Amino acid sequence: MSKHKFRSSTLPVLITVGPVSLWLAFFVVIPLLYVFIMSFCSIDENYNVVFQFTLDNYRNLMDVNYLQIYAQSILIAFFATVICLVLGYPFAFLISRTFRSRKTFLYMLVIIPFWTNSLIRIYGWRTFLGASGWLNQTLMALHLTDSPMDFLFNRFATILGMAYVLFPFMVLPLYTAIEKLDPSQLEVSADLGARGGATFWNVVLPQTVSGVFSGCIMVFIPSLGYFYVADILGGGNSDVIGNLIERQFQSGNNWPFGAALSIILIAVTLLLVKLYQKCGGDMQSLGV
Amino acid sequence: MKKRQMIGAFLTVSILSGLLTACGGKISTTGSSSAPAESVSAGSSSASSGSASAEGGKGSLNLYIWTEYVPDSVIQDFEKQTGVQVNVSTYSTNEDMLAKVKSENEGAFDIVQPSDYMVEQMIKQNMLQKLDHSKLTNLKNISDVFLNQSYDPENQYSVPYLAGVAGIAVNTSKIKDTITGYADLFNPKYKKSIVALDDYRAVLGMVARSLGMSMNETDDAKIAQIKTQAMKLKDNIKLYDSDSPKSALISGDCSLGYCWSGEIALAIRENPAIKIIFPKEGAYVFFDNWCITKGAKNTENAHKFINYMMEPQVAKAVSDEFAYLQPNQAAVKLLGDSYKNNPAENVPESVIKKGEHVKNLDTAALAKYNAIWTELKK
Amino acid sequence: MRRKKAERLCRSAGAVYCGLVYAFLFLPIVVVVVNSFNATKSKPYLSWKGFSFAWYGKLLQNTALLDSFKNTLILAAVSTILSTIIGTIAAVGMFKYRFRGKSVIDALLYIPVVIPEIVLGIALLTLFATVNIPRGMLSLVFAHVTFCIPFVIFNVRARLDGYDKSLEEASMDLGVGRLKTFFHITLPVLAPGIGGGALLAFTLSIDDVIVSYFTNGQTKTFPLKVMESIKSGVAPDVNALSTLILIVTVLFVVLTQSGLIRRLRHRKI
Repeated sequence: MSKHKFRSSTLPVLITVGPVSLWLAFFVVIPLLYVFIMSFCSIDENYNVVFQFTLDNYRNLMDVNYLQIYAQSILIAFFATVICLVLGYPFAFLISRTFRSRKTFLYMLVIIPFWTNSLIRIYGWRTFLGASGWLNQTLMALHLTDSPMDFLFNRFATILGMAYVLFPFMVLPLYTAIEKLDPSQLEVSADLGARGGATFWNVVLPQTVSGVFSGCIMVFIPSLGYFYVADILGGGNSDVIGNLIERQFQSGNNWPFGAALSIILIAVTLLLVKLYQKCGGDMQSLGV
Repeated sequence: MKKRQMIGAFLTVSILSGLLTACGGKISTTGSSSAPAESVSAGSSSASSGSASAEGGKGSLNLYIWTEYVPDSVIQDFEKQTGVQVNVSTYSTNEDMLAKVKSENEGAFDIVQPSDYMVEQMIKQNMLQKLDHSKLTNLKNISDVFLNQSYDPENQYSVPYLAGVAGIAVNTSKIKDTITGYADLFNPKYKKSIVALDDYRAVLGMVARSLGMSMNETDDAKIAQIKTQAMKLKDNIKLYDSDSPKSALISGDCSLGYCWSGEIALAIRENPAIKIIFPKEGAYVFFDNWCITKGAKNTENAHKFINYMMEPQVAKAVSDEFAYLQPNQAAVKLLGDSYKNNPAENVPESVIKKGEHVKNLDTAALAKYNAIWTELKK
Repeated sequence: MRRKKAERLCRSAGAVYCGLVYAFLFLPIVVVVVNSFNATKSKPYLSWKGFSFAWYGKLLQNTALLDSFKNTLILAAVSTILSTIIGTIAAVGMFKYRFRGKSVIDALLYIPVVIPEIVLGIALLTLFATVNIPRGMLSLVFAHVTFCIPFVIFNVRARLDGYDKSLEEASMDLGVGRLKTFFHITLPVLAPGIGGGALLAFTLSIDDVIVSYFTNGQTKTFPLKVMESIKSGVAPDVNALSTLILIVTVLFVVLTQSGLIRRLRHRKI
């Protein structure tokens, strides 16, 4: 009896779920555990990691400088998220409802730019915003300005770049949520005399709030780590946490400190996810 | 519906790839890109370029070099001449190179290009192998001024490639003031106009020189002074770029620069209004070298390559494209007056003598400098 | 009447707004495409020196760039296949069977999705450096499959949500083996979910920058080659390659979409 049971349920479980469990264990759990352990290690004179327990990495991290960079990074992520939300919500709504006859085509039109390599598109922004770039040349040709304006290599450009790269991650969940709206509810609301604003606030928004939340999370968290956007458009003086971490693994030659920075970043991420779940966010919608 | 279109896109991209790679030329049978792919299917995983020498041609060579430092044409000529397949990776600072080489398996890269102090560091960490001078017949072309330096007496591990200083670039059509030294860069009126190297030893060393100190200070009090001075630079630096600072100068994004002399020379070629200024306080001087890593898999080819780079014609081709100080005397003869009379390329000996080289410091001091750097780039 | 007018006004305003957003989305694409025809020869290739197809020709000679693109495609294909297989059977297994640790695996699956890529990148680098896995195509495949699997599983799971087990039970009652049932009954039903997951995996792998940056060794993928070019000034042959990719994918989407419309019309008739 028990042999049959083993064969009938344990073996299929092992075959189907076994590979992914092994994979997750080896390539997710163990590396992250190792990073955690490494954050308590030190380095020797030759920059090699030594297993000498120290809290120095975390102590150094608590320095005002690093905390300011975390704060600045969160601010940049926040503004990028806000831009995506403010631009993306009406956009998703318009595509889904107002222009629904063409909605597949319009939706595809959003996805197509993102089949071009993201780095080359960011570089396109750099070409556009630079001192001898398209925007400045146009402005000067129209005599709107005498000398090139500083659009590039500052925090503004970084935020713009983050918002640009992450825009589809806001639009997709919003679109999915708005699609689920029952059009008859909107009609009823209008019939009952509610104006557009009231309908939006009382009918549309509450039902799409899950899309809003998952869109925000899918934009906010990556912005903390996208160091190449900050590098290419920010010029190196609007560092985000990703830049800090990257530096420790490159020129800083200080892996344990980089590990500590990463652990703190993971902690921030987990906090945000918990917040998301508390606000009623649905974990399922994050994967789509 | 969505899926179908996307699957169509998937197929398309694969077809496109097939077409492009068919047109694009030879399938690389050597080098790290294809060998591991085969080892994945074979189920084994040995070091990435291990099987290379067994397959096509005369083997391969893995270069790890500075960006904007070795012309593609020179490398391709070497490939044509010898049949060696060359794989190139680039880095922006010595520290980046050290980090990557350490994080990889031994011998992942055959050749690296450390600067003076980094050669010393790598020798200390046992990361380089001794050069076989019998294979480097062109070494006689290198001027004695650059040989036998303190970081590698008798050139056991390195041969000089190019040298220069980190000078000041001024776009005279935008900046009418007279700039004479590093200290001038701290003037608040140059807000957001400097392109600086993305290299903490270079920038903080410059800050130290502007105060009359050494670039290799370890005294806490002095480092604190350097920190205070460095913060004054924060508002002035618009862009950090070690790879191609000339781009910002040429495009007009920055009117001042703290850049490698060769980059400034190239910027001057594009825009003669740009001038190079050698700081009166004494500049950051660097000598870059060819080294072979310990455990390199293609030592024979590496020696061939280094010897090839020291040929007069090749060195001249290098100088034509990347205008640094050329230690190869035979090449200098070929370069003529346009090189000799150009101070940006042929950095005067007086500037080199007055300048200072970066030296290795202990990890504690470097941690302090790194902290200042983080605060500066915030 | 006034309401109709207001509606029309709203529609036009909406159209303008959408147009502006699309302009924002496509602006850098336009820059990239236009610059691929730039006749400039000198770094940093920023100023416009005239119209020319020269760089498309130079692209065909740029073996390093084409090799990196080939690498990216191979990597994406291998990663997609591996992650789809592992992910699909995992999703089916997790749907059908109850076992200890299911919730743990479920939670673990979210990690590669939610945490910033840079953390995954350095964690994998640390693993590879310690265990001495050679950095190159192999490490890249490991890394890419790791972040692709969850997306496959989520997509297949979504498809499994309304799945009717009775079909499978009926098939097995009729004597068909478990494996055959899986291939002939389960898989076709799951096909759209698997397709969606595979496609998502492919897309993520093709454009991956950060995780590849840390785990690539010397193997250049296309995004990393572009990153390298950006450091020294992007030569228009990179733009040319991007333009070609864009043209081909758009063409095929247009073709398949119009092909579908034709199909629908046939059905209606």
